[in-house]
Amino acid sequence: MLALLKFLQSLAKTLHSEGTPTQIGLGVALGAALGLTPIMNAHNLVVLLLLAVLNVSFGAGMLAWGIFVPVGFMLDPLFDRIGHWLLIDATSLRPLWTAWDNTPVLALTNFNNTVVLGSVIVWLVLFLPLWLASRFAVVRYRVTIGERVRESHFYKVLSASQFYNVYRWFRP
Amino acid sequence: MSTAGSVRSGDAPVYGPPAAGGGPPNDQAMKPRLAIFRWKGIIPLILGLALVATVWLLFADRLLRSSAEEAGTRALGTELDVATLHFDLVHTSIQLNGVAIADPFDARRNLLEVKQLFVQLEPEPLLEKKLVITRLTIGDVRTGTPRSTPARPVAAGGFAPSALHEMQQWAKQFDVPLLSLTPIDTIKSIALDPAQLSSIKAALALGQRADSTRTNLQRSFTSLPLQATLDSSHALLTRLQGVNVRTLGLTGARNAVADIRRASARVDSLKTQIEGLATSAKTAGDSLQAGLRAVDDARRADYEFAKRLIKLPSFDAPDIGSALFGKVTIDKVQQAVYWTELARQYMPPGLLPKPSPGPPRLRASGTTVHFVRPQAYPRFLLRRADVDVTVSDGPGRGKYVGAVQDATTEPALVGKPMLFAIQRAANGSAVDSLRITGTLDHAGARPRDVLTVQAGGMELPNFPIPGLPYRAAPGRGNSALRLTLAGDQLDAHWSLASGKLAWIADSAARKMNTIESLVAKVLTGVPALQMNAQIAGPIKAPKLAINSNLDRVVADQLRSVVGSQVAAAEAKVRARVDSLVDEKAAPVKAKIATVRAEADQRIADARTKLDAEKQKLDAQVKQFSGGLVRLP
Repeated sequence: MLALLKFLQSLAKTLHSEGTPTQIGLGVALGAALGLTPIMNAHNLVVLLLLAVLNVSFGAGMLAWGIFVPVGFMLDPLFDRIGHWLLIDATSLRPLWTAWDNTPVLALTNFNNTVVLGSVIVWLVLFLPLWLASRFAVVRYRVTIGERVRESHFYKVLSASQFYNVYRWFRP
Repeated sequence: MSTAGSVRSGDAPVYGPPAAGGGPPNDQAMKPRLAIFRWKGIIPLILGLALVATVWLLFADRLLRSSAEEAGTRALGTELDVATLHFDLVHTSIQLNGVAIADPFDARRNLLEVKQLFVQLEPEPLLEKKLVITRLTIGDVRTGTPRSTPARPVAAGGFAPSALHEMQQWAKQFDVPLLSLTPIDTIKSIALDPAQLSSIKAALALGQRADSTRTNLQRSFTSLPLQATLDSSHALLTRLQGVNVRTLGLTGARNAVADIRRASARVDSLKTQIEGLATSAKTAGDSLQAGLRAVDDARRADYEFAKRLIKLPSFDAPDIGSALFGKVTIDKVQQAVYWTELARQYMPPGLLPKPSPGPPRLRASGTTVHFVRPQAYPRFLLRRADVDVTVSDGPGRGKYVGAVQDATTEPALVGKPMLFAIQRAANGSAVDSLRITGTLDHAGARPRDVLTVQAGGMELPNFPIPGLPYRAAPGRGNSALRLTLAGDQLDAHWSLASGKLAWIADSAARKMNTIESLVAKVLTGVPALQMNAQIAGPIKAPKLAINSNLDRVVADQLRSVVGSQVAAAEAKVRARVDSLVDEKAAPVKAKIATVRAEADQRIADARTKLDAEKQKLDAQVKQFSGGLVRLP
């Protein structure tokens, strides 16, 4: 219940933040990497860095992380298959992976693991659609029911809760 | 932390209530006010990194220790414990204390306990996730120490546990004979189940094969146009009988000769087919005959099976040797083979990508593929390690000197075999001298591993005598083991020699029967031990052969005392097996004889008929041509 409440708060605060739909969309697309791909990997450090320093919605990124974690777990067999194909079956790519796996720093990316590589590739493929889809969703939301939600009793209760207050302390 | 785009101070919020009658917030209008970078975000990032650095400083050693334990346990297939670990990032070195590797074959014992272990790593390969050790220092090593808590079994799934399981299965495949000393006079009857006899199974299968061969031969024979060819030829000859060549004219004579030639060609073709069939019939008959010999071989195995069933003692010295030393030999070689197989797994030949299970995590582990590039660092390389070890207690206490060279995960990159040697030279403990050397050559396509262990003046372990309430105590002696694994061919020799063999009666000694007493009397009079064991052959199905002075003595004694009784019992066993097998094998033999005879008869008949027809056709041509033309 607490998790659901937190999720709703997170969703509400993102949708009603000052961020533009583009910023929120980019935040979602970047944050999806944290959920879709195994977290303890070097590329996620880069994603976190981008979420922090790029002018995108960090909150949307965190929200997308939470949303895409179960999706990532569900799609692991698919990632494994894609990674297997890229690393083992596609012999023409072997020189690339051989060079990658033997290059300082790049070797630390764990892209020689089927699940890591497969999930990163899927995330990169989904990056643009995720960005555009979430941007469109935010625009539609704000145009249609955004203001009504803002005025609703439920939103006010949600906003008045402790979590929201804590969030507001850190709001710029 | 900012949750949305930062807004320049003084600017209106980017998102607000929509204007009356207005549409969605206009992105285009916001664009000029958006900055790409949010420099304020660097502050929490730095704070985050500082937090990570603090966690690293506080917990890195603990995390690495736990990872090392987990990875080591998985790799070795046995529990690896590390008391403390310190990783010095600046000097790229690792100091481990209290390293204990449990014996995979005995959970209550440590194979090795190392008090201090220092590893100096080359920094550059670390950026490629590769470990190149430039210096390795090991201090205070103890072997065979008891564990305070038994080692936990390693969860299945990795290579090492499965290799261990395979080795246990491997050890079970050996048919180690029992040293049976049952009194002969207690054998009243031999209860044999025919279904247990392999010769009966073989005979029944051969009977089915004979039936199928007979059907096939009959089908092949009936498919030949023998009668049609003979009838056609006969009709031609009848038509030409009494015809005068002059009345036919030149053309008629030419046609008649051509007809005869065609008929003759058909006969020749059929003869060729008959000869082919004869060859097939001979091959099939020979194969069935070979099957009969296989039944006889199986019958010999059944004699041995029946002898074991009623526990008849064997006089064959190799059997007695295997009964006495089989288990202990298999145990020793099994351990050596396990470590060799493990080395092969972690040092595979070739430069092809090597898949291995991914790291354990909540998410799916996947497969991690290691791509090897020529003239690059291998994933792991220990160029050379010279180790001076003092084992402070236990039966192996003393000073040891060891060296390891070119230990690597990619032998094809290093291009040299891994060499290792451990030597000991000190009196006054359980071992006077010990030398272990090994070569693991995986640089080529066919790996070749050689391991030799030589121990002199060693306190040899006591071992029980199967079937007798005695233990042999060889005392101090010499032991040598040499194991060669070339490709999948195993050749292991193990020898034991002791001049001071003692015999210890079991504390709860039971009353022995006559044969046991005799054997015990003979054995306990033997003052020395000389044993040679060999396990050789393909790794999947090697053969065990053992000989020792004990088995020769026991065999001779058994033969002289109960030889006639055993011979009589053996004859009884053979007769019983023969009666059961003959009941099934005799009809099969008869069936095979019938198949051969039938095939021979039919072929001979066909040959005779075709030869006669050919002669007739030849004669007819001669008649037409006046002896000038012969059939080809």
